Amino acid sequence: MPRLATVERDLLVFSIWAVLGLLGLGFLLEGLTRDAYPLALIGILLVVAGFVAHIIVNQIFGKGFRRGETALGIGAFGALALVFIAAWTAGELSMADYASGLTLFGVLVAGLVAYLATRHGLRGAFSQFHFKPGQDEGNDR
Amino acid sequence: MNGQSSPIWLMVFGLFYVSVMLYWARVAARENGDHETYFSAGHSLSPWISALILAGASVSGWFVLGGSEMIATHGFGLPAVLTAGVALALPGVLFFKRIWYVGQRLRLSSQAEIFRSYYESDFLVVVSTAIALLFAIGFAGLQMRVLSQMMALLTDGLVSPLGAGVVLGTVLFAGVVIGGMRAVGYFGVIQTVVAYSATAVLAGFALFWSGGFAALNSGLAELAARPDAASLFSIDGVIHFTSGLGRGGDPAEADTAVASLSLALAFMGFQASPLALKIVLSTRGGNGFGAGQTWVMAGVFGGLIAFAMAIIGAAGLVDPAMSVSGMLLKLQASSPWFSGWIFIGIAAGVQLLAGLALLTAGESLVRHVYKPYFNSSLSRRSTVTLTRIVIAVMAVVAMLLQSLTPVTLSALAGLALPLAFQLWTPLLGVTWLRWITRPAAVVGVGFGVVGVILTEPLGYQVLAFLGLELPWGRWPWTIHSAAWGMAANLAAVFIISAITNRNVFGEEAVEIRRFLSGTLRVSTRARNLTSTAWSVGLAWVFLAIGPGLIFGNSAFGTLGVEGGSWRVGMPSLWAWALAGWVTGVGLIWFLAYRMEMASPYTTDIPAYQPPRRLSHDRRPAERERLRVLVIAAAAVFLAVAVVAFSFGG
Repeated sequence: MPRLATVERDLLVFSIWAVLGLLGLGFLLEGLTRDAYPLALIGILLVVAGFVAHIIVNQIFGKGFRRGETALGIGAFGALALVFIAAWTAGELSMADYASGLTLFGVLVAGLVAYLATRHGLRGAFSQFHFKPGQDEGNDR
Repeated sequence: MNGQSSPIWLMVFGLFYVSVMLYWARVAARENGDHETYFSAGHSLSPWISALILAGASVSGWFVLGGSEMIATHGFGLPAVLTAGVALALPGVLFFKRIWYVGQRLRLSSQAEIFRSYYESDFLVVVSTAIALLFAIGFAGLQMRVLSQMMALLTDGLVSPLGAGVVLGTVLFAGVVIGGMRAVGYFGVIQTVVAYSATAVLAGFALFWSGGFAALNSGLAELAARPDAASLFSIDGVIHFTSGLGRGGDPAEADTAVASLSLALAFMGFQASPLALKIVLSTRGGNGFGAGQTWVMAGVFGGLIAFAMAIIGAAGLVDPAMSVSGMLLKLQASSPWFSGWIFIGIAAGVQLLAGLALLTAGESLVRHVYKPYFNSSLSRRSTVTLTRIVIAVMAVVAMLLQSLTPVTLSALAGLALPLAFQLWTPLLGVTWLRWITRPAAVVGVGFGVVGVILTEPLGYQVLAFLGLELPWGRWPWTIHSAAWGMAANLAAVFIISAITNRNVFGEEAVEIRRFLSGTLRVSTRARNLTSTAWSVGLAWVFLAIGPGLIFGNSAFGTLGVEGGSWRVGMPSLWAWALAGWVTGVGLIWFLAYRMEMASPYTTDIPAYQPPRRLSHDRRPAERERLRVLVIAAAAVFLAVAVVAFSFGG
């Protein structure tokens, strides 16, 4: 892909997450602080909308998620999961917090599976996690 | 979460903002090859990027701060604010396509270069540079000052306004200096999107706290029952023959139809400014201006102004505690993440404008004034380095003015838009009106500048200092200085064009005329619609931003002792302005596409090859010029000091 097209795709991705991602984070925090599941749900929907918009942009520019994006996404998912489990074991979660966290992780996992399945097929989705030694990992998809 | 921890979220979002900015500055710097395409991004910005940042720089920051404040304090008496999206798009449709083609043909990258090529006028180059400087130091500086104060408020004094100004200025300076125009373009997309979204979300909070749209309008209706509320919800006649603000006219009397019209004219100045043309001439294609001006500027951003900004302002009108700062403080106490994000959004909009202004002013000063007149042997690399230094100096000056002399800053800021509006006549001469001669354009702008300065506080305060008291104040007859300047400007242009030779133009001007009349000739279908376009355009101007606004006082309801009785559930003038916005989008579409003023057009544009000229050593002349400048500056300073000592004080 030409350099300028890559820049334009990255600009759109940054813009999407600067709005939908941070706004989603805001609503999620609002829901968790106020023990208001509907507010947290709005946040989760905004995050999902961010992913959908990201995938649409990828499709328009004929590109997949970049390595850095995948790493950031998995890292953020892991960090959130860690915080959630720590709070759960400390017994500081209300029912609304518990439901919000489970909804977020459920939606993200389901979304990831759905994305991989629609993009690579069920068998191919599994293969995305099954690298043989020496396999070329140069593809940034 | 409590209020005390709230600055942490502001800082987290602030750090995120700075990180993203530096990332894009680095991307831009690498693509620039350090200095090769620093000034114009190699004319490679995509049309959609240009459309977004044009709209973002025109609207997002200063409208949410200034526009909503205007409605919160003065009500709906100046509906031109609400239809500003259309007013801003109008000059874009008129100029951008043709200016872009001229720039491509002659390989020009700024307004000053266009004026130098077409009019061969040093005066217009200097005026264009001065206006860029006013935008950088005054116009953007004033908004940065508001942001600094807001930041100090949100951090509960943890960061002083001066400290906030230094932080914001440093961030801004870093991005522009590292990445140049490409960084302004790239990061401007993110700034615009975040600023637009933050404004919409803030309007959502305003509605939520007001109890919804109906409750907000009920509050406005109750407010209308107050005996002194008429000026908040109605146009106070077509014109008042007052001496102007500060000379017996009081602010409420400025809510007239001609005040609204002349304010709209001032808004139109932005798209004729060197800032807007910098973006236009850095674009890689001329096919996006129609869509950009019609759907992005007039449509989306016009809607943002007519709805979101109006809602924020109306909430502040009903409850003064719901000003932008008030709402952010309220949010900060309960939901600091939203407060931080919205503040960063507003700051992003202002920083986009400020960054663009600093770059344009720096380039103008170095590339268009210093280099051609005083140091023509300056290399490309040295030009970029010197521009970076000048940008740093301007950023520091702006920061100092913000903290030390806010009144001067405000006076300078007030000049930027009306002075930029005076550049309409030379731009019309380049693009459409071939009968505007070189002397007419130059003298017209000169008269326009004088007209503006004499009807703005800076002018009459400077004259008062020198011992000359003008009998009028700001906006005499409730007419904005932009219109006073344009009246003088047009009078000079008409008279001088009539008495000077219309065929005396340089080679490049002749080439521009030949190129535009040949390549961009409008079709027969469009020519047949000319009278319709004039009729529709003038009707819209009359009804939506002109004297016809007085019909809006009662078109959708009336004011009475029981309050507002509005048929459409909102103040009549607001509804009138919304109708003006909708019809205005139609007007812009008609002009852009049906009249082919900004419609897509694809053709190869070979670079114009000027005839070869013998080069000669210009250094002695440049040294002499510098000597004359220093002596003249010293003489002027002495003369001013003597006059002030003798008559003023």
